[in-house]
Amino acid sequence: MPSYIFRRLLLIIPTVFLALSFLFFLFFALPGDPVNLIAGGADRTPNPIVLQQIEERYGFDDPLPVQFANYWQRTVTWDLGESYLNRQSVNDILGEKAVNSLRLAIWAIIIEVIVGIAVGLVSAIRRYSVADRMTTIVTAGASAVPVFVLGFILQYGFAVVPNLNDWPEWARLRTSRLGPDTWAFFFIPTGEQWRYLILPAITLASVSTALAARMTRGSMLEVLRADYMRTARAKGLKERQVVARHGLRNAMLPVITLIGIDFGTVIGAAVLTETVFSWPGLGSEIARSVVGRDLPVALGLTLAVVVAYSFINLLVDLSYAWFDPRIRLGGGEAS
Amino acid sequence: MRLKRRGLKLLALFLGLSLVAAACGDDESSSDDPAEDPGDLPDGAAGGDLVDIGTFVGDPPEHIDPALNSTLDAYQVINAVYDGLTDIDASDPENPEIVPLVAESVEPNDDASVWTFKIREGQAFSDGEEILPSTFQRSWERAADLAGDYSYLLTFIEGGAERLDEEAPADSISGIDADDEAMTLTVTMAEPYSNFDAVAGFQLFFPLPEAAVEAGEEWENGVMVGNGPYAMEAARTAEEIVLVKNDEWNGDFNQETWDDRLDTLTFRVSADPDTSYNSFEAGEGDIGQIPPARVSDAKETYGTTLDVDLLASYHFVINDRDPLIGGEENLLLRQAVSQAIDREEINEAVYNGSRATPTGITPPGIPGYEEGLCEFCAYDEAAAQASFDEWKEAGNTQTEPLPIQFNADAGHEPVVAIFIDNLAAIGIEAVAEPFPTETYFTQLAEGACTICRAGWQADYPTYDNFMFDLFHSTALDGNNYGFTNDEFDALVDEAKQTVDADEQAALFQDAERILLNDATMVIPINRYLGDYVYNEDKVANFPQTNFGLIIWEQVKLVA
Repeated sequence: MPSYIFRRLLLIIPTVFLALSFLFFLFFALPGDPVNLIAGGADRTPNPIVLQQIEERYGFDDPLPVQFANYWQRTVTWDLGESYLNRQSVNDILGEKAVNSLRLAIWAIIIEVIVGIAVGLVSAIRRYSVADRMTTIVTAGASAVPVFVLGFILQYGFAVVPNLNDWPEWARLRTSRLGPDTWAFFFIPTGEQWRYLILPAITLASVSTALAARMTRGSMLEVLRADYMRTARAKGLKERQVVARHGLRNAMLPVITLIGIDFGTVIGAAVLTETVFSWPGLGSEIARSVVGRDLPVALGLTLAVVVAYSFINLLVDLSYAWFDPRIRLGGGEAS
Repeated sequence: MRLKRRGLKLLALFLGLSLVAAACGDDESSSDDPAEDPGDLPDGAAGGDLVDIGTFVGDPPEHIDPALNSTLDAYQVINAVYDGLTDIDASDPENPEIVPLVAESVEPNDDASVWTFKIREGQAFSDGEEILPSTFQRSWERAADLAGDYSYLLTFIEGGAERLDEEAPADSISGIDADDEAMTLTVTMAEPYSNFDAVAGFQLFFPLPEAAVEAGEEWENGVMVGNGPYAMEAARTAEEIVLVKNDEWNGDFNQETWDDRLDTLTFRVSADPDTSYNSFEAGEGDIGQIPPARVSDAKETYGTTLDVDLLASYHFVINDRDPLIGGEENLLLRQAVSQAIDREEINEAVYNGSRATPTGITPPGIPGYEEGLCEFCAYDEAAAQASFDEWKEAGNTQTEPLPIQFNADAGHEPVVAIFIDNLAAIGIEAVAEPFPTETYFTQLAEGACTICRAGWQADYPTYDNFMFDLFHSTALDGNNYGFTNDEFDALVDEAKQTVDADEQAALFQDAERILLNDATMVIPINRYLGDYVYNEDKVANFPQTNFGLIIWEQVKLVA
């Protein structure tokens, strides 16, 4: 097991290398001269002396392979460079945005896990009941409503309406940005912060929660018909134990995979939610940097997302072994 | 109001204001905006904190350095942080006046070839650094080095072009003579220019402290020290810009220091116009921007600046180099197009009748304005049909539909749809050609324009701000999208040098007649209105001038 983890961790290195190298060259293939950008904008014709200074300072006058080598040399020492557009250190941007993304992602996943699995489970066990049919309708709806529409409606219903009707303060949520308060244990909102967090977290979780519920339901229905379930009942286990220990645990494998992928996605790709709620996270920053040809920011933030994604994948794989002891990680030992 | 990246002044308008465009406002219900009568300000609270979520909707500002910015939204911040040599007193919107501000007096010589600014004694930046004539020289030379979008304004000064020269920039701008002993700044023009007092008060000419020269283009990423009513508290972030009251401020052009002005002024960036309005309605900000669908709602419920008739034009520009419609041989076609457009229909259908229909490009309020300059700007289907038929009889045929360019998703779709319908009515085929906003103006400058939508907000009250900056062949490269006319250029050049106001106005009007009638290279549609919304329960006074600027020192909260 430890050697398996070690090998998987090693594998992250070529993954990151390939992903970022690809992005690096893709960027130079895109139109838009970074030298001009640094000098103040894509459409201006600055003084050539200024351009030349910038070329030298940032090494744009070097041939592409040399720039590529320099880039990696800096990156391995965790120097991600600075933004072409506003000269901010990418390490700083990353530090600031990544935590916001991670907090939002954690809460979205918490919602997805709790609500998605619970709802899926109930509708599987009570198949064709009213609750089951409702779940089918609601999950279909949730996957179909565009994120920004849902975000907009939630804002209106939970922040605008309460404000316009002078509802008591405890019933009001906020439409956008971060609150002034801090976080306990990294992700528990303190003070007023929860008012800012709750709507984006629900919005971000909506689609994936619906998917998780449907997948739990489908997977659970399959498991419920399995032979070992009948055996478990024949052994005299209570229905509760049958469902929880034999049913749910076996039905979880595909759901865990889904949630793992979701977690990676919500960290780096929550662009729409972040935009609607002006949440200062990685997704919208990456989108902005790509549009603005801000290479160091795009590469630096992508690096973080790729690493996070790889780790989450590893955790997901490790959890398979826990959910299904028949799965042995690390190949070799099993005959 | 946001612009995007192209070096055009106040492209700002294109998005923000155009959004209002798509909206439907109730007509006429004139709001009881107290700002209309600045002589009688309502009593409000002293100080207080204001949160603005209406100025930056979309992206954070690209530039907030006066030497680099070209957008109206960032100018709102710059104007709060800096004061220039002169200011515009727009308290009478019909008749805006140039008044000295950091300068004590402004005197041109007889032919307006040399301007002398006497700098007021004892003026200082918020960190105590004194403002001297040499401060301006230094700042203007810096502006030349940074080569911002507006840097062409420096070519008005003798030696400015040499300093801007890309190959071998001159050591200094030779036309500037700063005498710190006598506190005079003497500026020699490259060509006599009778409106330089207006231009000298514009952002590019703002005084900057010594540290700005060293910091270069980095200046805007730190705390920009200024001499305006507000000072930056911290460096800008992608989320907000926070200004605090500058207690060292020297006062406005009346030496009035507005001591009760706000304590803090926070600009927050919203990522999306509709949710920004949600935030405003949820009480998270005091000042918002009105998105397309909410105009009538906003007007009914809140205070707005929709009654501010901005000195701004919404028009379509024609590319003279485009074989489909440019050139002498297509003059009749262009006149047919201009006469075929039912501007009242656009106004009714898209703007609920709220906008003014122009008779030229230059709006009333600009000195020298004359009504009815344009012969082809009034809707006349029969005349349009006749011109089109005549054009066809001359042996011309439409080989392909005329593409009408505009920036997508900014509220212009319905305008262009009516435009195309109107043309179809007389048999001219046209087709909409939407572009992404980010690249729209770049692409126009690169020649994508055939008949393309554009807009312009006056920077200062001069006729040449419309004629020269928009249509002269040596102005902002790309702003004219393909109009070059020697006769027009000569008239504008002559008018700029003319000191006598009436003579000058006549020359500018002649130039505009060429633009609109003899060549018919531009199709005016309407004029923009303000699009700020504010909560009257919290904000007592929110004055926006017809230059689009908020007079921040006069903004007051409800007591």
